[in-house]
Amino acid sequence: MKHLTEEEMIEHYYSEDFYKAEAELHLQACKHCAQAYEEIGKLLRSIRSPEMPARSSDHGAQVWQSIQGSLQPYASKRKRSYFRWFHLAYATACLLVLAGAFVAGRMWEHAHAKPSLASNPQQAKERVVLFVLDNHLDRSERLLVQLNHAGAERESVDFPLQAEAQQLLTDNRLYRQSVAQANDPLLAAALDHLERVLLEVANSPGELSAADVARIEQEMNTQGLLFQIRILRTKISEQTVNAQAVRKGAAL
Amino acid sequence: MGNDDHALIRNVLAGEKNAYGLLVARHSQSVFRVAFRITENEADAEEIVQEAFLRGYLKLEDFDARSNFRTWIYRIAMNCALDVLNRRKNQATLSIAEEYDSEKTTVQPADGAAGPDRLLLSQEIEARRQVAMEKLTPTERLAFVMRHMEDRSTEEIAGALGIAPNSAKQAVFRAVQKLRQSLAPLWVKS
Repeated sequence: MKHLTEEEMIEHYYSEDFYKAEAELHLQACKHCAQAYEEIGKLLRSIRSPEMPARSSDHGAQVWQSIQGSLQPYASKRKRSYFRWFHLAYATACLLVLAGAFVAGRMWEHAHAKPSLASNPQQAKERVVLFVLDNHLDRSERLLVQLNHAGAERESVDFPLQAEAQQLLTDNRLYRQSVAQANDPLLAAALDHLERVLLEVANSPGELSAADVARIEQEMNTQGLLFQIRILRTKISEQTVNAQAVRKGAAL
Repeated sequence: MGNDDHALIRNVLAGEKNAYGLLVARHSQSVFRVAFRITENEADAEEIVQEAFLRGYLKLEDFDARSNFRTWIYRIAMNCALDVLNRRKNQATLSIAEEYDSEKTTVQPADGAAGPDRLLLSQEIEARRQVAMEKLTPTERLAFVMRHMEDRSTEEIAGALGIAPNSAKQAVFRAVQKLRQSLAPLWVKS
């Protein structure tokens, strides 16, 4: 049987032992430990608190009177630390103002830019049309240049140029129909003229010979068409630049 | 009470110095009680009370609103008491132990003695207890008073003294051992 140590007995006396029930059982069974525990208990029970001198009911007031003279109100303490907090508060306020200005600017831009763009869907559509049309005329111009070169060099036109003409022909029909609804007779006439040239190049059976190219040049005035297209491209480029300026102005 | 204490603390921090007077009035008796139990000296206990409330006021900005003011000021009082005990230890102006050396004392009260004998024994025990208490280190003394007289748990003692719970338990254990060594002859003789 394992006896209780003095430390365990003291813990048991103050009811701080983890195995209280086991210790109790052991003390009932073991006379040696029971005697030692009784001695410790007797000793500790004999140690009482010293007799407390009476304090008057105004003891707290007396204590307060004795210390209050050396205490400073917290408000004045805050004044001392005011400047430290002031600097911190000032920096925070500056940051908040900057952040607020940034957010306000973003909100203002958002609030004003969106309606302007949304309120002019027609302008947006026109910008897209101008961009696409410019691209189409650029490709057409290059095709006509190659065709004119072939005519000048008295060479035949190869298959890739005809395939390009076929692709341009499909696109040109769409653009011509779109432009027909708009009030732009110059562009409509140019696209009509271009369509006929493209049709001739694309639908030729086999390679275009130098004679075929010369005939097309002569009959369809491809030189004149090329000049016309260049003028139109210049005009469209100007319109595109103007549209971008208007958009930026609306966004601001 | 706790909530009232917190309201008073807020008032003090807002600049109402006199609100602290109400806190002092509310808790001075209990702080005095524990201070006296530790020092067993009225003047020292009063000094601890004043010092504790003074330090409490100066540290009031650090008071955690989730805490209990009574527990908080109690801990400060413990620290003040430790300071007083250490100072007293260092001064060592008068060794009570010499007056009540265990080897010189021979008291043999008879079993079932009448009142005067019992009274004599009690006085002897009290005198020896004081001697024994003076022999304890400040930490042992505080730990023992808190455990035995204030009925505080090991965790509370550890928290008040700023030591580990096991150290607090050991301090109580050593204190009881020392008290046994000083007081046991009396029980053998009786």
